[in-house]
Amino acid sequence: MKVNTSKVSQFFFLVVFFILFIMTEYRGKDDIFFAINGFFRANPLVATTYILSMKSITPLILPGLLLIVFAFLLGRFFCGWICPLGTIIDLFTDRIKKKDTPPFFKTRFKYYLLLTLLSASFFGVNISGLLDPIGILVRAMTFFIYPLFGFTIRSGWTGLYSLFGDSRDYIEPLYGFIRDHIMPFRETFYPLAFLSTLMIFTIILLERYGRRNWCRNICPLGTLLGLFGRLSIVKRIPVKLCGDCRQCKDTCPTGFDQDILQRQDCILCMECKIKCSLKRVHFPIRLPSFKKDTVNPSERRIFLTGIVSGFALSKIFTFREPSSFEHLLRPPGVRKEDEFLRACVRCGECIKVCLKNALYPSSLQAGLYGLYTPILIPRLGYCEYNCNLCGQVCPTGAIPHLPIEEKRKFVIGTAVIDRNRCLPYEKRINCIVCEEHCPIPDKAIRFEVSEEIDYSGRKVLLKKPYVKEELCNGCGICENKCPLEGKSAIVVFSTGKVLKKRV
Amino acid sequence: MDRRDFIKFIGLNLMLITQGKRASAKEMPVVAISEGKDYAAITKNAISGIGGIGAYVKKGDVVVIKPNIGWDRKPEYAANTHPLVVKSIAEECLKAGAKRVKVFDNTCNDPRRCYENSGIQPALKGMKDVEMKHVEDERFVKTRLNGRFLKEWEIYDEALKADVFINVPIAKHHSLTRLTLALKNMLGIMGGNRGYLHRGMEDALSDINSVVKSHLVVIDATRILLDHGPQGGSLGDVKVLNRVIASTDIVAADAYATTLFNLKPQDISTTVVAYKRGLGEMDLGKIKLIKT
Repeated sequence: MKVNTSKVSQFFFLVVFFILFIMTEYRGKDDIFFAINGFFRANPLVATTYILSMKSITPLILPGLLLIVFAFLLGRFFCGWICPLGTIIDLFTDRIKKKDTPPFFKTRFKYYLLLTLLSASFFGVNISGLLDPIGILVRAMTFFIYPLFGFTIRSGWTGLYSLFGDSRDYIEPLYGFIRDHIMPFRETFYPLAFLSTLMIFTIILLERYGRRNWCRNICPLGTLLGLFGRLSIVKRIPVKLCGDCRQCKDTCPTGFDQDILQRQDCILCMECKIKCSLKRVHFPIRLPSFKKDTVNPSERRIFLTGIVSGFALSKIFTFREPSSFEHLLRPPGVRKEDEFLRACVRCGECIKVCLKNALYPSSLQAGLYGLYTPILIPRLGYCEYNCNLCGQVCPTGAIPHLPIEEKRKFVIGTAVIDRNRCLPYEKRINCIVCEEHCPIPDKAIRFEVSEEIDYSGRKVLLKKPYVKEELCNGCGICENKCPLEGKSAIVVFSTGKVLKKRV
Repeated sequence: MDRRDFIKFIGLNLMLITQGKRASAKEMPVVAISEGKDYAAITKNAISGIGGIGAYVKKGDVVVIKPNIGWDRKPEYAANTHPLVVKSIAEECLKAGAKRVKVFDNTCNDPRRCYENSGIQPALKGMKDVEMKHVEDERFVKTRLNGRFLKEWEIYDEALKADVFINVPIAKHHSLTRLTLALKNMLGIMGGNRGYLHRGMEDALSDINSVVKSHLVVIDATRILLDHGPQGGSLGDVKVLNRVIASTDIVAADAYATTLFNLKPQDISTTVVAYKRGLGEMDLGKIKLIKT
């Protein structure tokens, strides 16, 4: 049997993808492998929408631009050779019984969709990340599949303890290996886990209506690559189905639903070449031709509709100004809500890497526009003083990669003590757990000592905490560690971020 | 005198005899102090000052060494026990024939960063029969303490099951209890909402130390943290003393360590309460100091 090179490449990149995904975690080093977010940085959709929405460029997305150059030469090779979501679809598709493709899919929907996303980006609302195939995959894995995987194995291990106690240590080397190299350090249950999983399931279920249905008819990244690839120099010959055979129509996963190959859909998987019993199919390199053979998105109708709907979308999504969400706590380094939302890919990498699981995907706290963007919830996890991993993994620098000294000083917010709940004030009992944990060397939480009579009539030296606002960086460890049940008696508000802007 | 009375009489006598013996055998608690720049050597010297590790660790024992690894701070910041002190104790235990040496702490900052940046994990790496695992939630077992403040609490089972428990704190400042020493280092084997303990720290510490005994206490005073404890973060608060203290009496060890901060044992309420509850001696006049 002949092995298809594209299949080997697909498998290779799928493995690379999983390895990078698992490596997106603190593993003893302050600096994380620089290419950890490679699938987002070498992503033409991310690069294009970033440029459109930010009206500027960052070195981080240069690999994405490089891939655009490749797309000009090779068309949608990314889809057939690299895309991990495409590979996963290929793994499932043969097990799914096919029905006739409903006419809905045969429209020019994907062009409208892509142009809408691009034009919305241009008008300042960049939500392309929500439909980016790599984003969809990473989010489903980060928010559901990976924690579930870790939870399953860990509960097995915990179960062994209740059954065998210490004797379970006989298989500790095996478990230790999985724990240290494959499992997440701790499992977090994220909001939006269901939605994230639903998206990927829907994409797989779409296979019922034709192979690579998502890729061919919806995927904005694939559509974009197809547009760039219209002039690709690699060309399938013959361009039509041969009258005497027509086998390619069944073999081809994407581009042959009509008699002429839809070049902007061809993913160069070479299946047709391998399966051609008559050895007619070739992929020679030819100079690009400008023959008008396919749908043209510069067709006035698609173009205008795209622009208009993108504009409408940008208005709908910013019905409430992003600045009205400034009360949210964002990862360290994020200054302006509006800028952040335009640059954020919603890929979930920062949330995945966050050392203390302080970051969570926003469901609706930041409005529809902020869906999946990271917010910091100190009661659930605090920002570790010496860690700047989120800035390191962000593929577009929406969370800037601050040097650690700067990050320590960056104001995420400011802690405020609720004297109605705080023990020394409310119950005249000593506590100051918050002060103990405050990581600022000079302590942003300090206390006054006062001699008082407690409620049982004894004299006590009460240590009453207060916040030295100009030192507080809002890391939230105080809110996190406050020993009161339920709501913390010290809470981080975004006040400092808005008012001070120290750094 | 019938048979029952006779048995009572004999029993009472036996009790008195053994009690008397115990009272007469009771000597002054010993605190050994060693000073020097070679931290591995002074650790060994301090332990040999109280009879050497062989007096505590027997062949085949499972030993738990409980350093303070609470914070994501480098060794020079004096927030965690010095890695060389921990390593040297582990080596001594292995030499004495320990089957396994377990080192762990229930950290305050992220455990991965604490283990790594304290320098203890790198220092112990590759040592045979020495393990340094992160604590696992299921291993905290609800334990009856029947204390004054704590009736019951989650205690780490490895600490409970250890043949020898070696308590290895670093001497440092703490704003609630003024100092944190060996008595307070025991928080690291406790689970649950530990912040709750702050409400009655003195009794809580005596409660846990009455149930889980430290067979050996080694206080790291190679450098001490004078202010902004327990995690510090500024080298200006650190004082290098190049000293290690060893004792079997946890209160005596704490009492002596207090003097390094120019404080008196009676200034530290956790020490005073532990003394009053009979956990050890705090009167420096009744403690035998050995400089090795």
